[in-house]
Amino acid sequence: MIINHPLLGPRDSAEFTYLGDASLIERPDWQAEDAADQFHDYLYLRDNPAGEHRELWFHEQGDRSWLVVTRNTLTHEITKVELARDVARSLGRSR
Amino acid sequence: MAEFSLYATPALGGYSTTHDGIALEELDGLGLISIATPLDSDAALAAALKKGFGAEIPAVGKVASSSDSKIRFLGMAPGQLFAAFEHDGPNAEGAIADKLAGAGYTTDQSDVWVGLRIAGPEVRTVLERICPLDLAPNAFAQDKVARTAMEHMAAIVFREGEDGFVLLTARSSAKSFLHALEVSIANAL
Repeated sequence: MIINHPLLGPRDSAEFTYLGDASLIERPDWQAEDAADQFHDYLYLRDNPAGEHRELWFHEQGDRSWLVVTRNTLTHEITKVELARDVARSLGRSR
Repeated sequence: MAEFSLYATPALGGYSTTHDGIALEELDGLGLISIATPLDSDAALAAALKKGFGAEIPAVGKVASSSDSKIRFLGMAPGQLFAAFEHDGPNAEGAIADKLAGAGYTTDQSDVWVGLRIAGPEVRTVLERICPLDLAPNAFAQDKVARTAMEHMAAIVFREGEDGFVLLTARSSAKSFLHALEVSIANAL
């Protein structure tokens, strides 16, 4: 499997390690009233789609960037690769 | 009291050989300094690099040279450069840090890396067995640098000349890395 890194170009997936669902970027506010419920959902509830899935990959044997990869779990086709930093910033985070 | 004198020894004992037209040698006296960009200070670092070394900040995956061609600046990751140059003795960091004057955070990495130069007409045939990168001249241009893994050992790869590459890898596994290259030369040629 080849992951087309936004900065470095196509790289073998052996250079990467996999973390999981890209929703892990959206960590709840620990000071919210219902923080315990939000963290329960954040930690334990995951969609498990047969098809398109957004997931976090770490370029460990490369530039050590985190990526958000959109991959079809049925075909392994990768349709989109973004820097996780850019995704987080687009959600209003500072870094 | 006994007298001692201490002197530095290269990790691979100054290894240098030619097998089947492939010259493989350890780079002796390699200075390697990482430069991290302070938060939101890209412009200040670019100015310091230009003033001190006559070099542009390389994009990630590119190599830039100082105006006297003695220092290579390797673009490793967003906000991280490596400076690679010939340097004898300790304190390689001063050669970079003094001229940056605080515009970048420098760390001396010289003593934890080992550099190998591999060159010869069939060098790509040897490396393609162990290196997951496409090293063909049109895919890996003269000014490219990449970090990858060969036989599970991390390595930084950049070019030197038409049919030559410099490979930087961890000093702690330098002998295993050298063995991987020797085996690949024997297998491929």
